[in-house]
Amino acid sequence: MRRRIVLVIGCVLWTVVASAFANAKIGDRIENVEMPMIGRGKHHLLGDSNVNVFIFIKPGLEHSRTALLQIVRCEKEMAGKSVHWSAVVSDRIATAEVEREVKETGLAMPVLVDAGDALYAKLGVALHPVVGIADKDHKLVAYQPFSKVNYAEVIRARIRHALGELTEKELEHALNPPEATQGGDASVALRYFKLAEKQFQAGNHEKALENIKKSLDKNAGLADAHVLRGNILAAQGNSSEALKAYTQALALDPANTNALKGKSACQHETR
Amino acid sequence: MLEPNKPGNNANPITPASYGLWPIHFGRCVMIGLVVLVCSWPAGTAEAEKKEGPPVPKTRKNNLSPLPEGVQAAISHGPYEDGDCSLCHKNKDRKDPGPITGSINELCLGCHEDFQKVMARKSSHVAAKESCVNCHNPHNAKQSKLLVEEANALCLSCHESIRNLVATAKVKHAALTMDAKCANCHNPHGANVEHLLTSLPFDLCVNCHGKDGVKDQDGKVLTNMTKLIADNPELHGPVAAKDCSACHTPHGGDNFRLLTLEYPPQFYSSYEPKLYALCFDCHEDSILKDAQTTTLTRFRNGSTNLHYLHVNKVERGRTCRACHEVHASKQKHQIRDGVPYGAKGWVLKINFTQTPTGGSCAKTCHETRGYVNSAAVPEAKKADAEPATSP
Repeated sequence: MRRRIVLVIGCVLWTVVASAFANAKIGDRIENVEMPMIGRGKHHLLGDSNVNVFIFIKPGLEHSRTALLQIVRCEKEMAGKSVHWSAVVSDRIATAEVEREVKETGLAMPVLVDAGDALYAKLGVALHPVVGIADKDHKLVAYQPFSKVNYAEVIRARIRHALGELTEKELEHALNPPEATQGGDASVALRYFKLAEKQFQAGNHEKALENIKKSLDKNAGLADAHVLRGNILAAQGNSSEALKAYTQALALDPANTNALKGKSACQHETR
Repeated sequence: MLEPNKPGNNANPITPASYGLWPIHFGRCVMIGLVVLVCSWPAGTAEAEKKEGPPVPKTRKNNLSPLPEGVQAAISHGPYEDGDCSLCHKNKDRKDPGPITGSINELCLGCHEDFQKVMARKSSHVAAKESCVNCHNPHNAKQSKLLVEEANALCLSCHESIRNLVATAKVKHAALTMDAKCANCHNPHGANVEHLLTSLPFDLCVNCHGKDGVKDQDGKVLTNMTKLIADNPELHGPVAAKDCSACHTPHGGDNFRLLTLEYPPQFYSSYEPKLYALCFDCHEDSILKDAQTTTLTRFRNGSTNLHYLHVNKVERGRTCRACHEVHASKQKHQIRDGVPYGAKGWVLKINFTQTPTGGSCAKTCHETRGYVNSAAVPEAKKADAEPATSP
């Protein structure tokens, strides 16, 4: 029941996350403004690549620093792909502070200065760091505020989705990764099966039979465990019980070649 | 000139024709590489990466022998219990098992096959990948799961920064000491979310904070987040992104409610930018600095910045919570319905109404006042809106 509630909340959350800038919605065309660049000259916000990534940063803040370090990683990992990158800072931030941040994070992309916060106001940027992703026609396709967990993974997934490398389903998987379950009866059954297999190979039939029983107690649907039980019983000379075990395995997995072989050998034996 | 970030900018590609000269190239490349590396390594980068990266793995020197006779084991490994020493060792003899027959993890994963998939997840534990016996005794142990030490102590023996934080934090998080402890939130073998988290933070937090009656260390009852969110569809960004850790530090901290940075604990507070560090790590602090603006916020009457007006006071400045419900609200922008007032919990309604050109708050901390933020509004409508003076 609780899982269902969490799932419902999860769906609500997902729809809310797909928001955008206050004045630029998903699908809106982003004006490719030319802006002064930290260090030298001018540069356009967007390029002619298939995907354009622009990030609003505020040097000196922890989240901006964390985001930048991860963006730097993303940029390196995606080198060679048709992606244009740029960062935007308000002209309220001292150039020396921006330069220090760029140096310390290893940021390679052009850093553009937003004079009078004109771009901030035009797009309605209320947060930093925040990433916008536009396609080759400069239409906004994704908006991603900072998150402390899985940020690089999410940014990568959003870019790869925009590049057409990820399906909707794969993107959703990256944004909402499945719970990392572990253990449970199926795992324990597999573990006993493996132990029994090794004991059988070592000639310890009694122990092997004991552990294969434990395995089947945990997961009676494990066809290979029935086969191994058949093999142990056959090795002990109990062909009639072995035949039953192989038959059970084949009921679960009719194409199981080991079960077919074992059954055939047992039938030959009992004739 | 090469344009940055464009594909095909590799000025000196290695081609098959250049392979014949590889020893010369190689030596020269190594020399040049070393010089470039030494000269160009940005001083801050190494430190920044160090802070970002996982803790440096330490191989623990565990005593992996079986417990001495007479010491009660909580758990024994199946093969050891069965006396099947030769499953891992050269000999079958308990007294002289000899060396193991393969690498440790190969032997373990030979039976514990399912962990191969677990450890192949995006976020994996270096210590586990390095060697299972960093944490487990393959014979028997006084701890469950064959752990060589009590679970928390085991984790914190490598994760020193967390250990120090836990030891010194003024505000503690009960999740670290109850139930499965570290494993309440982390999967020590592998997970699909960073930091070995078994789910995104919100999904983990609501396991406890989605119940009624959960209290903090001072006995104050905490909000049932599942209920709050079910009743309030407008979510704060980090909540929507399931990223509770954007504002809360889960291992303990010095700020109330385990907030990562400072935020005034009281309802009224004199304006001090550093007191709002938490909010300003994402939100623009200039919305509280500039008395006049036409770009920073839409909560303005013409160019009069109403955020500035409410918050930027020497005495009785309104903190963000006076108007915003930080987790979820019924109204957009996390505008809350009302403010708890007085010891008896009476709620003073805010009665905020948004209009296409601004909004108004009615019969609340002040008399009904509206604001207009759009220049495109016809003059007649502008005149209808009573200008805000002092909230």
